[in-house]
Amino acid sequence: MKKSLSVAALAAAMMICGAAANAEDTVRFWYHFDNADNPMADLVAKFEAKNPGIKIKAENIPWNSYYDNLYTSIIAGNAPDAAMVKMHAQPRLVEMGALEPIDDRIAAWDGASDIQANLFDLTKGPDGKQYYLPVQYVVLYLYYRADMFKELGLEPPKTCDDFRNAAIKLTRDTNGDGRNNVYGFGFRGGKGGHDHWGSLVLSREGVSFDKSGLTSDAGVAGTQFVVDLFQKDKVFPPSAPNDGFKEVTGAFKAGTTAMTIHHIGSANDMVAALGDKVSATTVPECGGGRWTSFGDESTAVFSSAKSKDAAWKWIAFLSSAGNNKEFNESTGQLPVTKTDSANWTLHPKRFVDATIESLPFAHMLPNRPETSDFVNTEWPVNMQRALTGEITAKEMNEKIDKLFNK
Amino acid sequence: MLSGDMTMTMTSSEWPSSRAALAKRVLPYALLSPAVIVTLAIVFFPMLQAAWMSLHDYILWKPNAISFVGLKNFFAAFHDEVFWISLKHTVIWIGLTIPSQLLLGLVTALLLNQEFPWRPLARALIIIPWALPSVVIGLMWVWIYDSNYGILNDFLLRMNIIQDSVPWLADPDTALYAIILTLTWQGFPFFAVMILAGLQSIPRSYYEAASIDGASKWRQFWHITLPGISGVLVTAVLLRTIWVANSIDVIYVMTGGGPGYATYTLPLYAFVKARTNLDFGYGSSLAVLFTIMLLGIVVVYLRKVGKGAD
Repeated sequence: MKKSLSVAALAAAMMICGAAANAEDTVRFWYHFDNADNPMADLVAKFEAKNPGIKIKAENIPWNSYYDNLYTSIIAGNAPDAAMVKMHAQPRLVEMGALEPIDDRIAAWDGASDIQANLFDLTKGPDGKQYYLPVQYVVLYLYYRADMFKELGLEPPKTCDDFRNAAIKLTRDTNGDGRNNVYGFGFRGGKGGHDHWGSLVLSREGVSFDKSGLTSDAGVAGTQFVVDLFQKDKVFPPSAPNDGFKEVTGAFKAGTTAMTIHHIGSANDMVAALGDKVSATTVPECGGGRWTSFGDESTAVFSSAKSKDAAWKWIAFLSSAGNNKEFNESTGQLPVTKTDSANWTLHPKRFVDATIESLPFAHMLPNRPETSDFVNTEWPVNMQRALTGEITAKEMNEKIDKLFNK
Repeated sequence: MLSGDMTMTMTSSEWPSSRAALAKRVLPYALLSPAVIVTLAIVFFPMLQAAWMSLHDYILWKPNAISFVGLKNFFAAFHDEVFWISLKHTVIWIGLTIPSQLLLGLVTALLLNQEFPWRPLARALIIIPWALPSVVIGLMWVWIYDSNYGILNDFLLRMNIIQDSVPWLADPDTALYAIILTLTWQGFPFFAVMILAGLQSIPRSYYEAASIDGASKWRQFWHITLPGISGVLVTAVLLRTIWVANSIDVIYVMTGGGPGYATYTLPLYAFVKARTNLDFGYGSSLAVLFTIMLLGIVVVYLRKVGKGAD
């Protein structure tokens, strides 16, 4: 008994010590990098050298459960002091009262004028306050195999019709075993694939997440177009309904697909595998408009942070010229400061160009609490059911319409 | 541990009888209490919490809107299409996995019970699927089933059994069965090892007596082997049923429930609802419902089969 009591006392003491170590001027920062080695260490060392009173505890949280962990940690009273956050999470975080407004701090910050013009507007909170400080961004565009297009005498697709025709021609048997081994387009049917669907559907005139926006004829035609590409034209690999990021980029790099949609974050990987054979262009115009996804990433200070000043200093540091460049060299995305954008050399020019050409029609998903469920379950589940013929395109759009417009 | 040390060094007659009696009464509880407290804290407390949450509108990102709603979540489940789809899959999941594992395990155990060279090595190797982590197994079988590079498609194509690659995990008609095959492979060594232990406890003399009486191999199996291992079988089936019913790791790794709801089972649906959609109220009510159903199955099983085994 005594022994177990003393063990309990020891455990309690350790917990108290742990809490004490977290107190004052230690900033717990959560981030997610795909990069397995930890490039954050250099930035942390640089920051701590400049700010001797502050210690940064940066934790790399696996992406697949990043938000699950973030929400549960907030409820459990163990939230980080600052973290990397995306727009789709903002409505919920604001609703939970988890974020600290930073309008005043931004107003007093020298670096604010160096942030690209519209990024603060794009990341404004649902209540008009500013909670997010942008740290990197990407825009999705179309990757294509320049060599295969040339071989078949095709031009990079400008419209959805071009896109379909190209995909049909690119789907072929190149090794002579009587079965197709190259597919026109690598479609992401698993989680995260709403970006692909969005470019082919949300681009159409009159289609949106507002009431009846998706259930309109144009909306249903858009989803039907995607379903037909898979079921009738068979231009997606058969595994498309389950495919996620890993499968889609893997298939493209292996030459199993001739086109796919992703952002500049995978450009260097693609070039390493394919060299000059890979190029990029904007997503096609479908049904009278164009839509591509703006991939945002910001940092935020949490309302539960013990030292909000220290947390702010740290996130402001990450979004300052020079540091922001270093940060984005690790993530492979694009810097948010004007200074760093001006002399950006990490990516081959054709991918930076495709990104910038895509900016005029880059959109974000609705700034609403339902968006998380759309991204995580509603879209993947219903897209998969539509692709495999369990439900119709119309039924899929109705489900999504119902989620947003109950 | 003072009282414990004393009782070891002194005989109880040296103690005043009431103190000795008290020490004797308290000691077992004192020794048990750490385990009991830990179990209470990590098993029973969360169970009660789940039951409490299932009666509330408990959405994690709406911490100010948590309210008592009685059985609303349970009624909602009965009107939820996905609940019924998941329930159907759970029945198929348990109904196919357990018998296949049992059969495969039984055959393996009978083979391993024969005399042959390298038998200890074979026995050690057979445990590998059971010893591998579920995540590793899931990832491994995803590659086996892969429609572009998978060995299964390659094999079947070369044998001319199929004409085109089958996307085993992306086709709703095959996905669930593909995962069931994986789980069968993972779980059969458990049955094999348990049954093997049971087989070795059957005295050889029974078989000798039976063969003198002219009983065929089949009759020996039916009248000696099966009754001999029935106790082991009843326990093993019960344990595996509970484990398989609750196991979501392999499904989660292989398909995450997809395509669509094709590989949703009830525990997975509860997990997705709570952990991904953050609807802990509804997720908990699904978990509670499933626990009650499973409890019902276990009770019926023990009544019927447990009696038969006696």
